[in-house]
Amino acid sequence: MTTNFPQAESAAVSPLVAAPGHATAPGVRVKDLTVVYRTPLGELPAVGGVSLTIEPGTITGIVGESGSGKSTLALSLLNAVQPPGRIKGGSVEIDGLGDVVKLGGDELRQARGRHLGYVFQAAQNSLNPLKTVGKQLLDLGRSHGVDDLRALVRDAKDLLERMGLDGARVLDSHQHELSGGMRQRVGIMLALVLNAQLVILDEPTTALDMITQATILRIVREVHKERGLTTLMVTHDIGVAAEVTDRLAVMYGGRVVEHGPTMEVLGAPSHPYTRGLIRAIPRLSGDIAEAQALPGRPPTLGTLPTAGCVFRERCPLRMDICETVDPRPLTHDRRTVACHAVERSHSTAEQEEYA
Amino acid sequence: MITGTGITKTFKQRGDVLGGRDVRALRGIDFAIEKGGAVSFIGESGCGKTTLGRIIAGLESWDSGEIVIDGTPMSSLRPRRRQPYFRKIQLIHQDPYSALNPTRTIYQTLQAPLALRARQAGRPKSWIGERAEELLSLVGIDPGYVLGRYPHQLSGGMRQRVVIARALTVDPEMLVADESVSMIDVSMRLSILALLKDLRERLGVSVLFITHDIATARYIGAEGELYVLYRGQVVERGLTESIITGPVHPYTQSLLSAIPVLHGLEQPGPERVVPTEALDERHADEGCLFARRCPFRTERCEKERPALVRGVEVAHERACFHPQRRSVIPVEAVA
Repeated sequence: MTTNFPQAESAAVSPLVAAPGHATAPGVRVKDLTVVYRTPLGELPAVGGVSLTIEPGTITGIVGESGSGKSTLALSLLNAVQPPGRIKGGSVEIDGLGDVVKLGGDELRQARGRHLGYVFQAAQNSLNPLKTVGKQLLDLGRSHGVDDLRALVRDAKDLLERMGLDGARVLDSHQHELSGGMRQRVGIMLALVLNAQLVILDEPTTALDMITQATILRIVREVHKERGLTTLMVTHDIGVAAEVTDRLAVMYGGRVVEHGPTMEVLGAPSHPYTRGLIRAIPRLSGDIAEAQALPGRPPTLGTLPTAGCVFRERCPLRMDICETVDPRPLTHDRRTVACHAVERSHSTAEQEEYA
Repeated sequence: MITGTGITKTFKQRGDVLGGRDVRALRGIDFAIEKGGAVSFIGESGCGKTTLGRIIAGLESWDSGEIVIDGTPMSSLRPRRRQPYFRKIQLIHQDPYSALNPTRTIYQTLQAPLALRARQAGRPKSWIGERAEELLSLVGIDPGYVLGRYPHQLSGGMRQRVVIARALTVDPEMLVADESVSMIDVSMRLSILALLKDLRERLGVSVLFITHDIATARYIGAEGELYVLYRGQVVERGLTESIITGPVHPYTQSLLSAIPVLHGLEQPGPERVVPTEALDERHADEGCLFARRCPFRTERCEKERPALVRGVEVAHERACFHPQRRSVIPVEAVA
């Protein structure tokens, strides 16, 4: 297994508008996105003013615990947040599509599938149990007005075979005849078969065995490279993200608290949450005593503080300012971090430089 | 405290779409778990680890072989008479969201088994409440906060602690934790593992830990024992640390190789092993069960089944004709 992962060649990719069929990897710019859910306590923000730039051609990981807003953010990229949730403000600019928050109706339906492929959390359960995979593929083709259905089936077969499956057999199978790893690959095939160039994978390896997980991750990496995609992977497992992504965004309480190149974020995490999260991973080597769980628990929509830093309850670096002021995300050396303590240490470091 | 020899279990499947195949879940497994010991079963889904765990917890019957609990062979007893023995072994369910009755408060959940205990031991009613509080404190939650609440008002981590507290109401000698942390948020997983370790050290409860993730097995106890199961057979067995640092069976090596590498902190092991095929239950039952997927198989592997024996190259047992140490686990990255 090769383990060098492709560094983004973003400079070589043109961000120009591309027609489906011969598309290039699109970039994504999320600005001040706020997504709220209506609850008996009023509208509560699951995603609170997130800004995130995804460079074309990269694999970006969005990591967070349950309730961090990672899946809501991913659904927003398709403008597919379901009631009682709604996108309250901000924009999601995708190259070739414009602001998807403003899209609706048929335009939006065509964009999903053609431009945006989504591999659902538990792809195991997202297939229709009554229809063979092939029939579902044809449904997908018809609903997107594909003229040449034969070619579509051929592409699907090629993709499945590329992922190490017997294409003809899988297309003739119902979902119960396929294993978890096979269904996941079917999910990836359905997301890619209409030539989507932006692919979002939501927890693609949850509920899979270790070895199957490794296989799926390898496939994601290879397909990403071969088809020149922009890939977004949402996961709660920082190890999974570490294995495949080249950029990592860490979410907590509806904010992106840290974003940067994966190697750097893991090698030298800045935000105290990222540091704690990495320390909490059970590992195969090193001193067991060094690994520690983060104290406390992640906030839910109801317990999210309305002012100040969302992480302060669990933070070892908590200061007075954290109670009242929500830290702004600041970029420093390719790394974006939203933390008062980190901000302060940068500013003192800079002052020392000039002293 | 509990030993098993030659345990087998076959699940009969009726003729449905798959054509009525019998599934051989366990093919003659030996195990021994001492009082206060820590044992982990690892393997992919379908390897038999959960079935074996359920048999050990008294929730499943077995076809042949003998289980001995505290010196009493279970075959000498009628199923009903086995109950007091198996009550000492409590299963902690995988999913803390469905393991608790949503219509009962935490107090009611703990009260039922405690009331029975109180009646049996002739204790006063006041003991029930005291004991419930004691148990909740023991698993690290504030009794005042949770006793009057319903499960949906608690986080996954808290629920899992309540499930553990409920298991402790019957004063078990052993806890069987089946994938107990897989549904808990990453930042809190280690605290549940630490709790199990702590209960073991403080109360002398044995822990049987069932998982597909070897890395978590390390945290249950340094001197713990690891069983690697594959298609109903133990393929490697020994001290957890010995197997992690010196795995010799290609299947164990595949499992260890599949653990994600934390790039930036670690580098992949130089000799990572990738199985040549995916797991397929329909693979032949002759020879070594892993042969079809093994990159190192020889003709002998397809004809003969290797036995689980102590090796010369490492201080643990393995069932392989060509055992060889390989460096598969991630190594610390050099800064």
